[in-house]
Amino acid sequence: MDGLFHAIAAVSTWQVLAAAAGGVLWGILGGALPGISPSIAMALLLPFTYDMSPVMAVVMLGSVYIGAEYGGSIPAILIRTPGTNAAAATVIDGYVMHQNGRGGEALGLSLTGGTIGGLFGLILLATLTKPLSSLALMFTPPAYFALGMLGLSIIASVSEGSLLKGLIAGILGLMLATVGTDPLSGVTRFTFGEPELLEGVHFILIMLGVFAVAELMTKIAEKETDEGVRPESVSRLVLPSLGKLWSLRRAQAIGCAVGALEGPVPGAGGTVASFLSYNEARRWSKTPEEFGKGSEEGVIAPETANNVVTATALVPTLSFGIPGSNSTAILLGGFLIHGLQPGPLLFSTNPDVVYGLFGGLFVANLMMFLFGIVILGPAIWLVNRPRPYLNAVILALVFSGIYSINHSLFDLAVVLGAGVVGYAMRVLRFPTLPLILGLVLGYMIESNYRRSLLLTRGDHMVFFENGVSAFLMICAIIVLVLAAVTEIRRFRRAADA
Amino acid sequence: MRAMLVASGLLIVLAAAYWLGADAIPKSSLGGLVGADGLPKLLAVALGLLSAGLALQTLVEMRKRRRTGAASATGTAASSEVGDVAGHLRALGVIAIGVGFLVALPVLGYALSVALLLVAVATYSGKAFGLGTVVFGVAGAAFFYVLFVLGLDVPLPAGIWPSLLSGGSAPV
Repeated sequence: MDGLFHAIAAVSTWQVLAAAAGGVLWGILGGALPGISPSIAMALLLPFTYDMSPVMAVVMLGSVYIGAEYGGSIPAILIRTPGTNAAAATVIDGYVMHQNGRGGEALGLSLTGGTIGGLFGLILLATLTKPLSSLALMFTPPAYFALGMLGLSIIASVSEGSLLKGLIAGILGLMLATVGTDPLSGVTRFTFGEPELLEGVHFILIMLGVFAVAELMTKIAEKETDEGVRPESVSRLVLPSLGKLWSLRRAQAIGCAVGALEGPVPGAGGTVASFLSYNEARRWSKTPEEFGKGSEEGVIAPETANNVVTATALVPTLSFGIPGSNSTAILLGGFLIHGLQPGPLLFSTNPDVVYGLFGGLFVANLMMFLFGIVILGPAIWLVNRPRPYLNAVILALVFSGIYSINHSLFDLAVVLGAGVVGYAMRVLRFPTLPLILGLVLGYMIESNYRRSLLLTRGDHMVFFENGVSAFLMICAIIVLVLAAVTEIRRFRRAADA
Repeated sequence: MRAMLVASGLLIVLAAAYWLGADAIPKSSLGGLVGADGLPKLLAVALGLLSAGLALQTLVEMRKRRRTGAASATGTAASSEVGDVAGHLRALGVIAIGVGFLVALPVLGYALSVALLLVAVATYSGKAFGLGTVVFGVAGAAFFYVLFVLGLDVPLPAGIWPSLLSGGSAPV
């Protein structure tokens, strides 16, 4: 009850409300700008929090995180450019819905799913912080490796009918992930003497190249005109009815469950959660054949999951002072700036800040819904501008966003190179999502695989001795076996035909 | 189909080159049992095998099509699979514009480079060059400048202009 009192006390002050509103608005804008990740959007605001009260500061930073994770879905649906990493899964069906003239519906599903997910995650954060934090403690290197393998197994279901091509694309992604400094020994790999490659290839560069630049190249190659998207369909935002939401309950439940389990795991984050929930939603769907062709479940499941993560990712940060992602690391910085040390003692020493944060994030989720409705109108209007102007703005946005990350011309060259690769993959009908999955998960898989073997002197049974790891590995094997069986059946059917 | 065979061949070459690169990674006692070259070598082998599998699959499909007398259909499929060459060259034009932006950015500065980029892409995408596109380029550049330089405080290149105005040497 004390917690509730602190939360209500916090949100009844105009300063905290203003911080939540400003944070969400800034977050949506930042998330919608390709290249400005949630962590960058948060980092840009960090200096402004010095003079704020601790509650106001952490609420503002947390609200940016919430807004940014939602904002990333807007360009993902409208221009096939995920504004954030976690929005990459939304591209698959969101953009197809937009192409099919249902962009307004996709945006409505994303907004509603995101709000529901955010509120659900917040309830979990407020009520189950301690039990969930024990789950994070169970994640040893073998479990992280198994989690990465489970993530990779998704390749099987996003391979668009060609498992072989999907696996090749996944391996190309894993190969890209090996560029840079080796996580264990520190020796450099595949850097060709280029210092800008020492930290590896950042996946935002590859994602923007493969998605945004390749999309632009395809449009220009096909001389696509404004008829490419039916204008009448994207003229307004369409919020889903209660009946529609009820019919999508399974996908939302999966998004909530995956986000709840993934969020507290350091390093997993919204990207893995959104891809996993997409995959599970497809597996449990009554119409799995619709996935990839504009499925509503394919939009709402990942969007729900990545917004659940915005709350559940705070569990290890608040409970142990261990940030699991760049965004939560910046939130941790917000605490430290004000002399607060997140950890088990925080709940007893500064309950006003912790529960004030919970209250502020609750308000932020509601504001996200309101601002989402307001912002989507102009966003839809923007994408209805003449295609040549839109193409120009997209490329300028991508270049400006990428340059602003490291102020590096080399990064721009990488984006252009990734664009060529992405275009070639499209022409040859290679799925691009496995490439991204391999790149995102490569570091986690390799470093934890090698750490596990180092700890056990090369005993591979370690991956099946640990309970969490064994469960995840078995899940990954089942997913791969099922996919292989489906692929063989498909091949036989094709041969018979 | 033929394009897929070529792609498979290129992937096999990439796998071989990647293996050689992995083999050249310096050995370190800190690398653990697997070593820094362990995963790369495994990936190289996997890529080689899968690419060979893809080539084999493509050959089997080509043979099947030929046997079922769908030679003409194969030709159609092959051409539709890789699209038209003119289309690909048009697509590569986007990359050429991007490279032009890369070259122009440190020299002309952010504002002018973005304005030129906006005009170039809009024109290349089919909008006739005229006052409208110029206004679009200038207004767009102003918007991006305000957003990134003034709003987000991102230090973007000013180009040669400050040094020209002050009479000094051009900054990088």
